[in-house]
Amino acid sequence: MFYIAIFFQYVAQYMKTRMQYRADLFVEIFSDLLFQAVNLIFILVVFGHTELLGGWTRDEIIFIYGFFLVPYALFSSFFNIWDFNERYIVKGELDRILTRPIHSLFQIVLERMELESLFGAVTGIAVMIYAGNSLGLGITWTDPFLFFLFVIGGMLVYGGIFVLIACISFWADARTSIMPMMYNIGNYGRYPVDIYNSVIRFVLTWVLPFAFVGVYPASYFLGKEEWFLYSFLTPVIGIVFFGISILTWNSGVKRYRGAGN
Amino acid sequence: MNDAITVRNLKKEFKAYSSRSGLKGAFRDLLTRNYKIVPAVNNISFQVKQGEMVGYIGENGAGKSTTIKMLTGILTPTTGEVIVNGMNPHKDREKFVSTIGVVFGQRSQLWWDIAVQESFRLLKKVYKVSDEQYDSHMAHVIRTLDIEPLLDKPVRKLSLGQRMRCELAAALIHNPPLLFLDEPTIGLDVLVKLKIREFLKEINEKYNTTILLTTHDLSDIEALCERVVMLDEGKIIYDGALKSLKEKWGEGKEIEFQFLEDVTLNDLNRITASSEVKWEKDEKEAIFTAFAEDNDELISLLIAKVVADLKVKDINIKETSTEEIIRNIYDRGIS
Ligand SMILES: Nc1ncnc2c1ncn2[C@@H]1O[C@H](COP(=O)(O)OP(=O)(O)O)[C@@H](O)[C@H]1O
Ligand SMILES: [Mg+2]
Repeated sequence: MFYIAIFFQYVAQYMKTRMQYRADLFVEIFSDLLFQAVNLIFILVVFGHTELLGGWTRDEIIFIYGFFLVPYALFSSFFNIWDFNERYIVKGELDRILTRPIHSLFQIVLERMELESLFGAVTGIAVMIYAGNSLGLGITWTDPFLFFLFVIGGMLVYGGIFVLIACISFWADARTSIMPMMYNIGNYGRYPVDIYNSVIRFVLTWVLPFAFVGVYPASYFLGKEEWFLYSFLTPVIGIVFFGISILTWNSGVKRYRGAGN
Repeated sequence: MNDAITVRNLKKEFKAYSSRSGLKGAFRDLLTRNYKIVPAVNNISFQVKQGEMVGYIGENGAGKSTTIKMLTGILTPTTGEVIVNGMNPHKDREKFVSTIGVVFGQRSQLWWDIAVQESFRLLKKVYKVSDEQYDSHMAHVIRTLDIEPLLDKPVRKLSLGQRMRCELAAALIHNPPLLFLDEPTIGLDVLVKLKIREFLKEINEKYNTTILLTTHDLSDIEALCERVVMLDEGKIIYDGALKSLKEKWGEGKEIEFQFLEDVTLNDLNRITASSEVKWEKDEKEAIFTAFAEDNDELISLLIAKVVADLKVKDINIKETSTEEIIRNIYDRGIS
C-alpha cells in the first residue's frame, strides 16, 4: 500500500515537472509517435508482398506488432535502466538510493520513469484495432482481462530481463554494458517465432523469453490454438523472470562497492 | 545510556585492478585481470554513545568515507560487526535507514530538477512523516538554516552553500536520532560554515541527536566535538578527547612577552631559572617567547615571576593549534 501511495506521489511530481517544460514534452511525444509510425511502415514494407510467412498472414503479423507495443510501452516508461551502470554504479548514485527507506530498484523505477512512452500503448492498441478489423476478429468479455494480464506479464518479462542485465554491473567491473545489444534482441519478440529456426525459438522462449512479450500472448487473440499454452504461460513466465531478477538484484546490491575516487 | 554505534573488528577490502600494458596485455586483461587487495578500513573497533558528537578525522584516503558507508548500510563489510541504532545496517536496510540521516558533502541527496520544497515534500512521504511532526520540526530547521527564500528554487540553481543547507535540512526531515555527515563543510565559505556548526550544536542539544562527522577542517571539530577518532591508512590511531590529544601531543604552550624596559635573554633566564622554560627572542619586534610545558600551575608561576621583576607591556598565551598537532602525529607517527 505504501509503495502504491509513493508511486502516485512520484507520478504527480513527474507531471508537475514535465508541465513546466511543455514545449519539450510536445516535441518528445511527437518524436515518439513518429518513431512508431516509422516502425509500422517498416513492418508494412517488409511483410507487404508476402501474404503468408511461416503460416502467418500480413495482418496477423501487424496485429502481433501492435500487441507488442503495449507491454513495451509500459516497460519503457518504468524500466529506464539502460544507463544503470554508468549512472548508478560508476558515478555512485546508488549511494543516495541506498540511504532511503524504499526498495532500491523501486526507487530507480520511480526516479527514472518516462511516462511519455505510454503513448506507445495508444499506438499499439490502434494498430491492433486496425489489424483486428481486417482479420474480422471479435471481442469476448474475457478478452480485456486477458489482455491486461498478458500485457503485465509481457512487461514483467521485459523488465526482468533488463534488470538481470543491469545486475551484471554488480559482479563485473566493466565500464561498458551490453544493454544496447539486448534492446536489439528484444525486438525479435515482435515477429512470429516460428519463422526462425528452432534454436532461436528455444532461446526466445526459455532463455531470453522475449517471445512472451509479443508472439505468444498475441496468438491467443488471433485464435492460434497451437500456441494457447504459451499464451497462458505469459503471466507465469513474467512473474518467474521478474522474481528471479529481484532476487539477483538484492544479492547484487550487497556487492555494491561505491564509486572509488 | 545506549550505544548509538558499536563497531567491532570492522574491515573493508577493495580490489584494486591494474591493467597490463600493450595489446597482448589488453587481451589477457579480458580473461583475468591483475588486482591486489587493498584494505580501506582495517580492523577498527569503536563505540559512540547516544547524544555524542564525534569527529572522524584522517587524511585523504584514510578510509573515513568507507567507514561511513558501512555504518549507513551502503557498503557491506568484508568482515566484522556493525550495530547502529540496535540494528545491523545490512539486514533490514529499509527499516534501518529511516532511523538515520546522511549528508555527503560531495554528492547531492536532493533531486536536481525540482524545487527544494518539492524534494522535501517527497521525502516527507518517503519517510512517512506526519504533517504535525513535519510542521513542528521542519519550521524550526528551515528558520535556523535560513533557507526559507530558497524553497521554491530548483536545486541546480542553488550555490554550494545554499545547497548544503538544504541538504542538511533534507537529512533531518524524519528527525533521526543519528546523523552522519561526510565532509559537510567542504568548499563552503566561513559564514555558511558557522551557520551549519551553530545548527548542528542546536539539534544536538535539543534532540540529543548523535552526530558523526568527517571533515578536513579541524576548526569544525574544535567547534563541535569533544571526542575525535583519528584514522590513518584504515586503522584507528587515536580515539579520545580532543583535549587530551592536545595535552599529549601539543608542543606545550608559548607565552609571548613584551616589556616596557630593556630586557635581555639572560635576565629572563635568571628570573625563571627554577622552572623548565626555554626563552627565545624575536629581535625585530622585541617579543620574548617562553616555551613551557602545558601545565596551568607552571605557567601561572612563570608569569608571576616575570611580572614581579619586570614591567610588562603585553602578554599573550598561545596554544599549539590542533592543525599543528595533527600534522605532527602524521609526520612522526603515534607511538
Ligand atoms: N569503490 C572503491 N573501489 C576501490 N577502492 C576504493 C573504493 N572506495 C574507496 N577506495 C579506496 O579506499 C581507500 C579509502 O577511501 P575513502 O574511504 O574514500 O577515504 P577518505 O574518505 O578517508 O578520504 C582509498 O585508498 C580509496 O582509493
Ligand atoms: Mg572521503
